[in-house]
Amino acid sequence: MRDATRTTAGDLTDSELMRRAASGDRDAFTALYQRHHAMVYRFARLMTGSNSAAEDIVQEVFLVVMRDAGRYDPARAALPSYLYGVARHHTRRRLARDRQFVAFDDGCGDAAQRVTEDDVNATLERRQALQRLRRAILSLPRRYREVIVLCDLQDVSYNDAASALGCAVGTIRSRLHRARNLLTQKMGCATSSEEDHQRMSMRCAV
Amino acid sequence: MTPTRHDDHPLADALDELRREEAGMETPSHVEAAVLAAWDNAHAETATRRRRIWRDAGAVAAAVTLAIGLAQLGLQLEQLTQPAQQSENSRTLLLVGEPILQGEPVRMVRMRVPASTLTGLGVRPVTGMPGEHIDVDVIVGEDGVARAIRVGR
Repeated sequence: MRDATRTTAGDLTDSELMRRAASGDRDAFTALYQRHHAMVYRFARLMTGSNSAAEDIVQEVFLVVMRDAGRYDPARAALPSYLYGVARHHTRRRLARDRQFVAFDDGCGDAAQRVTEDDVNATLERRQALQRLRRAILSLPRRYREVIVLCDLQDVSYNDAASALGCAVGTIRSRLHRARNLLTQKMGCATSSEEDHQRMSMRCAV
Repeated sequence: MTPTRHDDHPLADALDELRREEAGMETPSHVEAAVLAAWDNAHAETATRRRRIWRDAGAVAAAVTLAIGLAQLGLQLEQLTQPAQQSENSRTLLLVGEPILQGEPVRMVRMRVPASTLTGLGVRPVTGMPGEHIDVDVIVGEDGVARAIRVGR
């Protein structure tokens, strides 16, 4: 009986699930969580650089859904945009509270387990490149980081990103252009500095 | 409107790779457990609050019902203590001849008759002396035969 209800809830639209959740339907709320938790988690993780912060933000976002589902208006924004908006708000609060970024800690451990003897160098280089990119993204000003995370890493459309961030589509385009330029500069600098650092290390070793 | 691919290929490739890696990231299961526990707690509190509201409403309803019942009881007791006055205020209905059938068309004729006439019919007028005239309503059937006599005050 419970499984049947859950299957039914999974087939419903976001708006209908929100309406049911507002009236106290636990299965509808569970279906909403299962449908959208991953995107909220990835957004928060990329924005904060912290798994624990991302977990907290996911909880806070769905507590808001639990409390305010009745106030959600599907005519104003699609649910993913609404959730990104809530996640963005809590991410800002979290970052303002922490005042610093926490380094990614889980990815490296997983990578170490996946590395085989045949491709140790390739995998490590790939991991290092991704870490550089992550650090570069985290070092972007928040308004640029948001558009990179949403549009380039979460495949959110310009319209939905504009809706989530509360600005015009043209603003999204211009911010994205600026963000990519900044990122390119930072990646170039990071590469240069790492190469310099390696050269310095070699010199020291010699 | 979907994001367009930017021209910086090394950056685009790097972002693609990061996106693919991030696509495999899932929220840890303990987060779902915590969220659903929060839901259960919130709705348990709501249910308790609703029960409390219903209990309070029930108490209020019981009090109101009791008050209304007591008021009605008092009214009935008051009526029982004044039977004579009530009978004086009421009218006497004297049935004569055939009973009035359901749906039978009747007419009512008002007549003024001597009180002694009513006394002869076995009706004692509640007001008036034997020599006075009393107004009576005679209910007459379609066949012209009186069905009932109602004696007013």
